[in-house]
Amino acid sequence: MKRALFITLNEVRLYLQDKGDLAFGLLLPVLTFALMYGAFGGETMFKATANIVNEDSGVYSQQLIEKLDSIDGISIDVMTAADADIKLERSDILLALFIPADFSETLSSGGKAELVFKQRGNGGLEGQILAGIIRSIAGEIDQEFQALHRVEGNLEGNDIPQSDIELTVRSLLEEERQQPSLGVAEEVVGGSTEFINQYLPGIITMYVLFALSLSAQAIVEERRRGTLERLLTTRLSAGELFFGKFISITARGFIQTLILLILSYAVFRLFTPVSFLACLVISFVFAAAAAALGMIIAAISRTEEAANWIAVVVTMFMVMMGNTFFQVGEDSVLATIGKFSLNTYANKAYTTIIAQEGALGDVWLQLVILAGVAVAGLFISRMIFRAVPGSK
Amino acid sequence: MAEEFMVVKDLYKSFKDLKAVNGVSFSIYKGEIFGLLGPNGAGKTTTIRMLSTVLEADKGEIIIGGHSVKKDAEAVRSIIGVCPQDLALYEDLSALDNMVFFGRMAGMEGKEAKAQAMENLKLMGLEGRAKGKVGKFSGGMKRRINLAIALMGSPQLLFLDEPTVGIDPQSRNHIFENIQGLQKKGLTILYTTHYMEEADRLCNRIAIMDGGQIIALDTSYNLKKQIGSPEKVTLEDVFLKLTGRSLRD
Repeated sequence: MKRALFITLNEVRLYLQDKGDLAFGLLLPVLTFALMYGAFGGETMFKATANIVNEDSGVYSQQLIEKLDSIDGISIDVMTAADADIKLERSDILLALFIPADFSETLSSGGKAELVFKQRGNGGLEGQILAGIIRSIAGEIDQEFQALHRVEGNLEGNDIPQSDIELTVRSLLEEERQQPSLGVAEEVVGGSTEFINQYLPGIITMYVLFALSLSAQAIVEERRRGTLERLLTTRLSAGELFFGKFISITARGFIQTLILLILSYAVFRLFTPVSFLACLVISFVFAAAAAALGMIIAAISRTEEAANWIAVVVTMFMVMMGNTFFQVGEDSVLATIGKFSLNTYANKAYTTIIAQEGALGDVWLQLVILAGVAVAGLFISRMIFRAVPGSK
Repeated sequence: MAEEFMVVKDLYKSFKDLKAVNGVSFSIYKGEIFGLLGPNGAGKTTTIRMLSTVLEADKGEIIIGGHSVKKDAEAVRSIIGVCPQDLALYEDLSALDNMVFFGRMAGMEGKEAKAQAMENLKLMGLEGRAKGKVGKFSGGMKRRINLAIALMGSPQLLFLDEPTVGIDPQSRNHIFENIQGLQKKGLTILYTTHYMEEADRLCNRIAIMDGGQIIALDTSYNLKKQIGSPEKVTLEDVFLKLTGRSLRD
């Protein structure tokens, strides 16, 4: 066991000597985090620009624009009709709202005003969502006018000033908006709605899989250096060699993931201290399982190319079948195949902790499976290892 | 009669249909430099792998220092040192780190390993380069480090597999002197080389292998006497006479 730890220490020393490898290993989590921050670090809500051609100089078009501008995530770009036409023609924009010159006047006189959407094709997804929002605001304004005109009609001849009627009607409508008779509640199924919470498990599992590629190289590197045979003529046993390599690679995979988790914790505030520790436990066990699978590849590979290719194929399988970036249907054939992917269990465990706010006790089965793979993988790799062809 | 330090009896090893080692028997005496010569593919490397516990024999017995390789490989590994033909070094580490690491693998404690590493570096004329990265050393220096590592753990039997390949005459001479010095200290050495003059100069006895078998075993003088006057013929003449002139893989 002592010699296995010397192997681990030697691996660490070699890792620290290779500045390129060191920089890659430590900077990659930071770089990944920066990309994550770029993708998820800001608002995760819908964002769009409403392109508006306002040919009306009245108060109601202004009211419409103000209401639209007050919605979070929507900004307003007012332009001339000619500009809008050119931009639509060039596909710079896909949808523009035209407010006609007589918009306010028509509304004031009780007439039927009309807004016009000019769009390229179907207006794009963003345009369609914006159009829906504008229709909804237009509907609100329309209801306000309908209500106002009916009240004014009913109170005609009662000597009540029109301004009082307007004020009362508007305050009642505002009250209704604040406390609607018909409300729509949001019920989130499966924990957080944040995108980062949904994607982080996949990013972490991808990271831990580096351990698989690293350990796949562990023995062929010694073979390439010529040190493998030399080591096996010392008092070091093959079992100690494998265990020492396994520990160092597990630690390296874990440390890279640790950096990612710490940054996520510090910046995204994704975890509670307890869920953070739970993720560390999962990461450690998953890194050990990935390293052990890599050791099997290392045991059977005679060249670096062979180790690389097998590791790539296994990693691809793990990612594709393990619910890493897309969900595999539960009762499908792919789901059955996916049971052979470590990612399936790791993702389930991370998702339970990160996105569903579960506890470590909720993922015991996944942890047991991953730990089992780690132990069995290490054992199998030692059993099938041959230092030179024909050796035992 | 000299004490036998290594005894090899009826050693066999096959790889599928290839009989790499086919009934090899010999003994090496304590304190002897024993040369194992042979053309490429003769079975030398396979034999050394079996002797150094890397490869298990199909049949036969190897006793080193009283320990059976088959039954007590760990005890054998504690008294042998191997200097492989290909450099077996961590090029990113310093000479000292390389040596201390292999010293620890040989079962030495930290301070002991460091002290012996410095001693061996001095022996190889590299004490001033202890902290230098091995990757930046010249070919001759690497060869000397390769040999120095084999001495870590104070082995009683040294396997030197072509330790002077590709180095300048100065480094080669330095290695020869060291090997002779080690012999004087009582080390037993198994030496393989393709340079016949090296074997002639260093080895007390020489075995010539071909086709997985030992086809001749004697002192250099007696081997030469088999084909002519020992003063006139060279070991290379003997070698070519016994193994033939056809090219090998």
